[in-house]
Amino acid sequence: MSPGDPKWLDVIERDLHRQFPFHEMFVSRGGHGQQDLFRVLKAYTLYRPEEGYCQAQAPIAAVLLMHMPAEQAFWCLVQICEKYLPGYYSEKLEAIQLDGEILFSLLQKVSPVAHKHLSRQKIDPLLYMTEWFMCAFARTLPWSSVLRVWDMFFCEGVKIIFRVGLVLLKHALGSPEKLKACQGQYETIEQLRSLSPKIMQEAFLVQEVVELPVTERQIEREHLIQLRRWQETRGCAPEGSSPPGPSPAGLSSPGFSASPLPGFSPPPLPGEPDIPGE
Amino acid sequence: MAETYDFLFKFLVIGSAGTGKSCLLHQFIENKFKQDSNHTIGVEFGSRVVNVGGKTVKLQIWDTAGQERFRSVTRSYYRGAAGALLVYDITSRETYNSLAAWLTDARTLASPNIVVILCGNKKDLDPEREVTFLEASRFAQENELMFLETSALTGENVEEAFLKCARTILNKIDSGELDPERMGSGIQYGDASLRQLRQPRSAQAVAPQPCGC
Repeated sequence: MSPGDPKWLDVIERDLHRQFPFHEMFVSRGGHGQQDLFRVLKAYTLYRPEEGYCQAQAPIAAVLLMHMPAEQAFWCLVQICEKYLPGYYSEKLEAIQLDGEILFSLLQKVSPVAHKHLSRQKIDPLLYMTEWFMCAFARTLPWSSVLRVWDMFFCEGVKIIFRVGLVLLKHALGSPEKLKACQGQYETIEQLRSLSPKIMQEAFLVQEVVELPVTERQIEREHLIQLRRWQETRGCAPEGSSPPGPSPAGLSSPGFSASPLPGFSPPPLPGEPDIPGE
Repeated sequence: MAETYDFLFKFLVIGSAGTGKSCLLHQFIENKFKQDSNHTIGVEFGSRVVNVGGKTVKLQIWDTAGQERFRSVTRSYYRGAAGALLVYDITSRETYNSLAAWLTDARTLASPNIVVILCGNKKDLDPEREVTFLEASRFAQENELMFLETSALTGENVEEAFLKCARTILNKIDSGELDPERMGSGIQYGDASLRQLRQPRSAQAVAPQPCGC
């Protein structure tokens, strides 16, 4: 077994007991769930030593482990980090910042009221969407909704994450009555952190996500606009904007056209390291 | 009805991953230790109204993710903070070694005048200690920070840390060192003090303030 970089292992170990601590798989310290989680996250730091470990990968890996053995969970994690949400977990977290801008811009069409409110209060999208997007809503929505959202996400890619975010914003802040409780920046963010169970409920949410009039093309166009703006203001392209593998040219989130995971089976990549301990 | 308070202060809780930032916040707000907590991704919030030196102050506390790579994201949370708890874990030298970088972030991104209290957390784990009290207090002195060792588990010094920070800010307002009306001061007047502010400034300066401090 490869020893791994102690810098990463230290942070991973601090996080093992902090993933879904009430789930029976992860409830006991050093139990099989936490051991598998350690192996999967450590394996990723060996597989991509230049990227290492990002704390938001832990809840993603934990959800995967609830559904499949460790080795498959590892390969699924690789797919999510490299194909579905490229750049989300890497060093400077630039892809998440770019997607925050894209989300906010799309909101203008979906709910002008919510958009105006957020921009008047100067609320950076990072204040509410970081956890939503980086964890693919696994720590936000009730469990039955998480499973539905993840199913759609695996089939259709990152656009599902955008749509869920837009639906939540629209229903939490989309009318003058709702904004009455959001006088200040803090109150608004509070509102977005304690979303009404009604709007997160599986049947309602999925229906809204499916019917939301935001097309893949619109998201792609917005992506290009924001990407250009990013390059103009910062003078360079964000990380993950030209990921390896087949993806539409110039798009940093090929999840738009991500192909479904083939039955969760590990892709046949020759010469990749074995998951440690396997 | 809205709560009434004299001032509202924005506070940050910053420091490396796994030092107990969210547990300190939870202990302060709920008065108990959070046994099974998630690690913070992005930011968590809490607020509490406290009484300091005869004034009611609402503390609005922003608890941030500790992993280094989240710094680019958490920058947007710093703006306009009046106070900060800078947290390290007394059982981890590594978390102590990164204090200088966190402090620089706080002073450049929030405000050079931000009032910072250094908290050596996990005081209850004294047998595993890697950082001595003396060493940390020297660091605090050199960097003009207040300093306490805290335990989010037992609650020791947790309330004191927040209150001490708030009290220092109030003192600086009284002495004129901090101006709540300056943009981005992280301080707002509550309803109670707005009434006083509506009086002409000259009258306010002459009349002694009817406060209990």
